[in-house]
Amino acid sequence: MYVELHAASAFSFLEGASLPEEIAEAAAHFGMPAIALLDRDGVYGAPRFHSAATRCKIRAHIGAEISVVDFGNQAGCPPWLPNQFPPRFVRLPLLVENQTGYRNLCRLITRYKMREKEKFSGAATLAEVAEHAEGLICLTGGEEGLFASSLAQGGLELAHRNTKKLAELFGPNNVYVELQRHFDPLEEKRNQAAVRLAETLHLPLLATNGVRYARSIDREILDVFTCIRNHCQLTSAGRLLQKNSKRHLRSSEEMAQLFSDLPQAIANSSELSSRLGYTLADLGYEFPRYPVPSGETMDSFLRKRTMEGIHQRYGPKNDEQLFAKAVKQVEKELHLIEKLHLAGYFLIVWDIVCFCRKHGILVQGRGSAANSAVCYALSITSVDPVGMELLFERFLSEERADWPDIDLDLPSGDQREKAIQYVYDRYGQLGAAMTANVITYRGRSVSREVGKTLGFDTETIDRLSSLVGQFEWRGPEDNWQTYFEHAGFDVHHFLIRKYLQLCDRIQDLPRHLGQHSGGMVICQGQLDSVVPLEPATMPGRVVVQWDKDDCADMGIVKVDLLGLGMMAVLEECLQLIPKHYHQSVDLAQIPADDNLVYETLRRADTVGMFQVESRAQMASLPRNAPVKFYDLVVQVAIIRPGPIVGNMMNPYMRRRQGKEEVHYAHPSLEPILKRTLGVPLFQEQLLRMAMVAANFSGGEAEDLRRAMGFKRSEERMQQIETRLRAGMQRNGIAAHVQQEIIAQITSFARYGFPESHAASFALIAYASAFLKCRYLAAFTAALLNNQPMGFYSPATIVKDAQRHGLRVKPIDILRSEWLCTLENAPNKAGQLVPCLRVGLRYARGLRQKAAEAIVLARTRQMFSDITDLVRCVPELQKPELECLGEIGSLNSLGKSVHRRSALWQVARATRSAGPLLDSIADESESSPLLRMNNEERLVADFHGSGLTPGPHPMAYCRKSLTAMNIKRAIDLERIPDGAYTTVAGCVIARQRPGTAKGFVFLSLEDETGIANVIIHPDLYQKFRLIINREKFLSVSGILQNQDRVISVKASHLAPVSISAAETESHDYH
Amino acid sequence: MVFACIFIPDFPVQAITRQEPDLRSKPVAVLQGAAPLTKVFAANPAARDRGVELGMTKLQAESCGPLEWRWRSLAQEASAQAALLDCAWTISPLIEQPRKGSAIDFCDSVVLDLAGCEKLFGSPEQIAHHLQRIAAAAGLEANVAFAGNPEAALSAARGFPGITLIPPGEEAAILGALPLSSLGLPAEMLETLHRWGIRTYSEFAALPEIAVIERFGQEGKRWHQLSHGGDPKPLLPKQFPDRFEESMDLEFSVDLLEPLLFVLNRLLDQLCLRLRMHLLATTELKITLTLDPKILCDQSPLPGSDESVSQAPEAQDAGFVRTGGAACCAPTNGLHIRNLRLPVPVNESKFLLKLLQLDLQAHPPGAPVTAIHIQAIPTRPRTRQMGLFLPLAPEPEALEITLARIQGVVGEGRAGAPVLLDSHRPNAFRQQRFVLPEASLTCPPAEHPPQAALRLYRPPLPATVQLQHDQPHTIYFNHARQPILAFAGPSRSTGEWWSETPWARDEWDVLLPLPRPQYQSNHPFHDNSHKPQETALYRIYRDLLSNHWFVEGIYD
Repeated sequence: MYVELHAASAFSFLEGASLPEEIAEAAAHFGMPAIALLDRDGVYGAPRFHSAATRCKIRAHIGAEISVVDFGNQAGCPPWLPNQFPPRFVRLPLLVENQTGYRNLCRLITRYKMREKEKFSGAATLAEVAEHAEGLICLTGGEEGLFASSLAQGGLELAHRNTKKLAELFGPNNVYVELQRHFDPLEEKRNQAAVRLAETLHLPLLATNGVRYARSIDREILDVFTCIRNHCQLTSAGRLLQKNSKRHLRSSEEMAQLFSDLPQAIANSSELSSRLGYTLADLGYEFPRYPVPSGETMDSFLRKRTMEGIHQRYGPKNDEQLFAKAVKQVEKELHLIEKLHLAGYFLIVWDIVCFCRKHGILVQGRGSAANSAVCYALSITSVDPVGMELLFERFLSEERADWPDIDLDLPSGDQREKAIQYVYDRYGQLGAAMTANVITYRGRSVSREVGKTLGFDTETIDRLSSLVGQFEWRGPEDNWQTYFEHAGFDVHHFLIRKYLQLCDRIQDLPRHLGQHSGGMVICQGQLDSVVPLEPATMPGRVVVQWDKDDCADMGIVKVDLLGLGMMAVLEECLQLIPKHYHQSVDLAQIPADDNLVYETLRRADTVGMFQVESRAQMASLPRNAPVKFYDLVVQVAIIRPGPIVGNMMNPYMRRRQGKEEVHYAHPSLEPILKRTLGVPLFQEQLLRMAMVAANFSGGEAEDLRRAMGFKRSEERMQQIETRLRAGMQRNGIAAHVQQEIIAQITSFARYGFPESHAASFALIAYASAFLKCRYLAAFTAALLNNQPMGFYSPATIVKDAQRHGLRVKPIDILRSEWLCTLENAPNKAGQLVPCLRVGLRYARGLRQKAAEAIVLARTRQMFSDITDLVRCVPELQKPELECLGEIGSLNSLGKSVHRRSALWQVARATRSAGPLLDSIADESESSPLLRMNNEERLVADFHGSGLTPGPHPMAYCRKSLTAMNIKRAIDLERIPDGAYTTVAGCVIARQRPGTAKGFVFLSLEDETGIANVIIHPDLYQKFRLIINREKFLSVSGILQNQDRVISVKASHLAPVSISAAETESHDYH
Repeated sequence: MVFACIFIPDFPVQAITRQEPDLRSKPVAVLQGAAPLTKVFAANPAARDRGVELGMTKLQAESCGPLEWRWRSLAQEASAQAALLDCAWTISPLIEQPRKGSAIDFCDSVVLDLAGCEKLFGSPEQIAHHLQRIAAAAGLEANVAFAGNPEAALSAARGFPGITLIPPGEEAAILGALPLSSLGLPAEMLETLHRWGIRTYSEFAALPEIAVIERFGQEGKRWHQLSHGGDPKPLLPKQFPDRFEESMDLEFSVDLLEPLLFVLNRLLDQLCLRLRMHLLATTELKITLTLDPKILCDQSPLPGSDESVSQAPEAQDAGFVRTGGAACCAPTNGLHIRNLRLPVPVNESKFLLKLLQLDLQAHPPGAPVTAIHIQAIPTRPRTRQMGLFLPLAPEPEALEITLARIQGVVGEGRAGAPVLLDSHRPNAFRQQRFVLPEASLTCPPAEHPPQAALRLYRPPLPATVQLQHDQPHTIYFNHARQPILAFAGPSRSTGEWWSETPWARDEWDVLLPLPRPQYQSNHPFHDNSHKPQETALYRIYRDLLSNHWFVEGIYD
């Protein structure tokens, strides 16, 4: 029986063309009992390969091809042929025999990867290989290997010497002379030499196929990858491409026939396979222990900290019943934590939270951790799970084997980096690392890369990739063929057809390894013996070779330190408010029932607010009409695919408005669904429904949720459904009710939002709403300083703030800092109120270093004029000065300075008069240039800063628009439902949500607010170009005003000529 | 007012419409780029009015309504440019070709110094009309402008349609309304001026000169003066003659090669004499044969030649200038043009005549010839130091004639030195022009282990192969069936799967009994019965796409 022991997957990044799963499935298809994956310089695909092999009931051998520096480069083309092979180090294929071998392999890879200055440039030294040779089996390799290289460089003599060296390093029983047959005479010549060498050195032969793809057709993908790797086109790649398509997985029979002259080479493959006892099931991972004072155990220490926390959290609430309930819940949780030996994990997360609080970093736990009273007591989360009756089993249950998931939200930027560096410092560089993020080929990257390899010009590629949709909704029109037709290509042309096929096949294959936004893994021993580590592109960061799902599958616990822009906004607000409003705000103490906040939310006046600012949220807020915090929790959770797909949103809204009676599928569900008016909205409710209606245990219910997750299997679903039905039958629930409950569970569990998560988000949403309503200037400044984030562009945020009465001052070279700041200025009543000064960061192209130099120079002496500015801040480059001049930031440098005159002076001041005339003072001269008109100012503002503090572009044309009977956004609420009307504005958002069946939603902004437009899919197809390309649109159609949710159902669209300003739109996200 | 400018708007379109006058009233779009990446390269006003934009794909432009499509022709553009120059030279010997437009390869305008021409050709208006008429006769609709300096004339011709006469001193006033983009400013400067709100010549001209110099330097000063309609730069006349040319109008059209060669011989003698007088030689010879327009319509081949005129369009498709070959062809309106590229500088008429003869035999003009124009690009003659111990190489001139003869027999692109291509495709090579390597004493190449040489059959011999267990067993080729005694293989190579011409084949080396008849010796000491069977080693292959077998070659 033949076992393939040298296969590589697409995780060899551009050197393999199939996913590990495909290779494992192909091996199972051929009836192989095992297969080995040896990716280049890593074990990137090993977890997926292991899982797939387990599913296919075959054994997954682990290994890697290791680049070695001391053996020179891989064999190239014979010298008489045109040769363009880039030099690459010889690679040793290593197979893992036992756990020691696996650890050695991981450490070896980590050792040389950590030295890498560029991706995939590292290689091990022979000494390092020798140091880590134990437990590893070495093969002599195929065309990339040592034997081929030695034979090419120094003939049989060198090959003999080098192979002997390998035998000394790994031991004679651990080196196999590898033979591959791909119908290539040169390779066969090498094989003959290898057979002679094996006889001389008494080494066993091993047949492999050097697999690079699962099916022979995938050679095409490998050829494309080769071109991408070598930055060339298919037509010019020549011998870099594969000679034929034979490096696919071959069946035992085919291999046996191929090596019929050397049967021992085939027999050795199964013999060696039986020697390889290691699989990833024996990873040897251990979570770190938290150091506790002597006399304490981790459990006792956790108990003490929790009890302290309970008193702090629940004491001030003065609710004895709640306190008792909390203590009881905590006891239950601690008992389980003790039983599952998870105290260390909680303490380590608590330790990180303590560090953050000590250093003034805003932190809040979210996710299912918010279901835990222990987490609440330890201040990891801010939502009271006892008060809100959240389901603990969603977080932790005895039946589950995996680790609980605690996510910490931190302010994005430097503050989060501090927390990450703390974890590194605490657990050592090789003890903690970020999880990787496997970047795959997606629509745009595929179209770009494949286009290049096929020789398309840059302009065409740009056009194509810009057309590739990023829509959530994928209608029948959203396919490659349509994109190409819209780009003006003939889809029937052979080359285009090939392009389409390739784009489709390459989709989702790994492209490179990125860094996950916040997932950290830590390990008690050395993390580098569990998974290889490598440096991330960001200095000071180390990543593991596996992504977060792989880590979870392998049982490695992860702590997510996620950067949340809104947390940074809140933190900045807390610093700005005392300074400019002379009030102090504590987020934990903000009034929970502020009427102004709820009124604003009910009006859907929510631009900039966390989670409730999107168009869809705005469209449902007036209907939900929140009056208390829990309404906001529901609001956060309801605009999600789950409630929408599961058809839960409309019943809830109708019941909320009293238009429909509240009823429950079964009386036993009333306590569970009472808060959401009988409509299940949260994952926890579904789990409880299963627990109550079908007597599921907490763990079983959680199992149900996971079974219905993204990787749902029909078989497992059916099993669970049978159990649900059986449970409900036992409880005497009628058949039709059973069906209703099952439909609710199955249609919903996949996308449902956890209540705990919604509550954590709702806290932040409420805080953001409160700060916006009460401290608009501070909130807007913080929001602008943390862009990009949220749903709207800075221009829209500024316009919204201005509509709410905030005075926004333009960038000023004498007053602006790098960030947006607050200044006190008198209002109409003469009172000093905070107003916003746009920061220099909004001057496009201005470097932070130059901006800081401006601010520093200002502290020494104010600039008298532009020449003085140029002299005092030599860091400023001419384009930066031109940008500042163009947006009016230099107007304050003189009485009659306007934008054009500033540009005029900048041009003079930045041009040296030469050494002879340099010392002569310039004669002041007035600028002959005309002032910019309104349109020019608008264009300059948007071009130079992306926003305008002046009037909205629509305001300049209002007279003529009114004459054309075009309404303002604010006018729409006075127009009766069903009336035909026309509205025009700047397009600030285009959306095509996955749940809207191809309907497109536009947001049009004018000087009075935002108008919503609904476009039917047919109309969209008709006006596709106009809708996607035009910046200003007028839309005519029937006005819909349902429950104060106002929109225009478009029947005709037309571009309107308002301004050439480069306004931005948030499209299809 | 001593300078004139002729400007041809939409030059690539006009280069085509001058040969197809019917198209002038229709919307025409000129395409460029290989399918499927074909884009609109140029369009006439009628097409632009329908919404055609440059850079659109053909499919996009098709949505603008019915259009006339033409492929871009460099040859036609070159001839249009030559025609434009000819137009200018009919009036003045001093002409300048200004800088080219950004996208086009050939200049679409020409500036003429008309000093003194009034006495010959009349008033500026008359000259302008004359120029327009000549251009129209050459198939070009031109804008003509007159001004006191070349740049003003150029700006006016580019900016205003028809005829524009700018009286002296009124340049600034007349040009003032033109957009700055007509001035041809550097992109960076144009952007700065746009930022300043300066859009037209007059706005730029209104800026104080010293202030402009302070901001843009001397370069700025020049452009500023240009915006006034002033031109500090004198005309840089096109060198005339910057090449050696000989022409002859024939009294009677010549329809046989021999009398044509007789005339050519005389011209070449003159040309080479002039070259030699200047101690020069030529490496490039351009022969333009003006063909009889009446007979040209019939497209009849030149009697006495063995090839038809249908070669001309092929040569046109292959491009105006074909590199690597000895000659290239660019037929224009009624002209038959041959370019001879020579490997070494030559000033011997006999050699040139022989080459021309071979070339015209291979590429005969399509009609009787009425005029001949020969143009030689001058260069320094060859100097060579012979080495006492250097091996003798053939004379380059003789070699070139031999190569031209071979090419005449085997066809263009089929003679030269083979160069291996970087491809897995077996036998992949291309022919490049053979150039005699410089003789030098070189070290002997490093020793390689001896390898068997494979003699290829060209084309490969079709064969029939019987297989046993998927392995070759018997082969039938050259009218003989032979058993395969031994084999090695297969070696498989497949490639170019992305193209419409993929290839895939399996190669085998097979040992066959030698078909040579056995010589029966009567010598008493020669025992025929013990002679071993003679064998030969062949390479055979199976084309996997057609499933046909071939014998590719035999090993030595």
